[in-house]
Amino acid sequence: MHRLGGVGLAAFDRQKESQRSFAELSSELSKAQVDHLQSQLTQFRTALSHFATTHRDAIKSDPDFRHKFQQMCSSIGVDPLAGPRKGGWWAEILGMSDWQYELGVQIVDVCVSTRERNGGVIEMGELVRMVSKLRGVGSGVITEDDVMRSIKTLQPLGAGYEVIDMGDGEKMVRSVMKELDEDQAIVLAEAQAEGGRIVEEILETRRGWPRERAKAALENMLFRDGLCWLDAQDQSHGKAYWIPSAMRWDE
Amino acid sequence: MALSPQTTPSGYQTGFLLPSIHSAPPFFTEQPNPNTQAQFNEQWIRLILTYARHRRLFSLRVEDAVVAGSEWDEVLRNERINRRMVPAHLSSILAAMVAKNLAVYEPAKQTSAVLLYWRLPEEWADVLHSWATATGQLNTILTYYEITDPPVPSSLSDIPLPLLKRAVNVLTRSGRAQIIGVAEGEGIRLFAGGK
Repeated sequence: MHRLGGVGLAAFDRQKESQRSFAELSSELSKAQVDHLQSQLTQFRTALSHFATTHRDAIKSDPDFRHKFQQMCSSIGVDPLAGPRKGGWWAEILGMSDWQYELGVQIVDVCVSTRERNGGVIEMGELVRMVSKLRGVGSGVITEDDVMRSIKTLQPLGAGYEVIDMGDGEKMVRSVMKELDEDQAIVLAEAQAEGGRIVEEILETRRGWPRERAKAALENMLFRDGLCWLDAQDQSHGKAYWIPSAMRWDE
Repeated sequence: MALSPQTTPSGYQTGFLLPSIHSAPPFFTEQPNPNTQAQFNEQWIRLILTYARHRRLFSLRVEDAVVAGSEWDEVLRNERINRRMVPAHLSSILAAMVAKNLAVYEPAKQTSAVLLYWRLPEEWADVLHSWATATGQLNTILTYYEITDPPVPSSLSDIPLPLLKRAVNVLTRSGRAQIIGVAEGEGIRLFAGGK
């Protein structure tokens, strides 16, 4: 078989020689690439940290700007809020993850402390209001968007926090591990329109439900899930159900 | 309708701030769901005790839920939403309070009236002991009347006798008081003594 290096002792040397020069060439090439990448990365970092430091306050205080910033980040595939392991540097520079986690803790605080009276379902607007109060900031500083994002960061904890869309822009946040079935969502929506009070008749006339369905839905919420309260002194119906999460509470 | 805390229309000292739950109609109904019922009971008990402390009320009777005009009206009734606590409901709250040692049936052997422990007998014992110390009445014999109706009003003024006796018992057990028979019945002598 014909060999490239020919035969004989000298062939070994020649082969070694060429291997060495290939290795040199390759390491030179990759070094150049690494250098290039590194300089690009440094540039990127400088630009980012410049951006971050210049706009940090704006990001933290201006909800609109924060929203745009989050959108920009997700479109280039950078998650500024990723945990300490991935993207931690980015979050560190912005101090953004702290902000978001802090908000998450406050959301949990509000959800847990109001659970007693709302059965673990809170209206989004009220949650935002109470979290803002807890932080001592005026309205509009914390947005629904922020709250939803924070709830997403709570997901790894497996606590079952979930945003439920009620339709027509109404959102509720559920903080208990309970499935809210379709009927219950409807009951919740109707009760909301009534300041929290709900009776079978409302569901019959407005939703066309048969009485049994309305009764079953309400009784399930009352007995099984503890999502509503009973009022046995209702003037017009004698018996009414009240859904605490649909009632307006002023502290 | 928003549910907010309400200050009682007060003729007595300062108004009492009722929690917003007191404006929620279902609060006046016994709840069929045991968890909800437990939470409501907690809130009722807290409300009853803070109100009692506010107005220095020492007893609560099921009867207070029957007829209007009792000193408990503004707690047991909410005219704004036209709700009131029914006697059976109050009776079960009293039972819960007794079970938690936040009240005792007084007199014993009935379940329609309680003595409220917005301070426990142990706490009253400390109040009594510090009062005697501060007014220089250690080692002298005091009648119960001198304690419940002192010339200078104290935080023990008008304390019911059964409650006072319980507090004294706490002190005798720890060697800080001695019960002495006096002409009009019983008196006590308090000692400095450690706990």
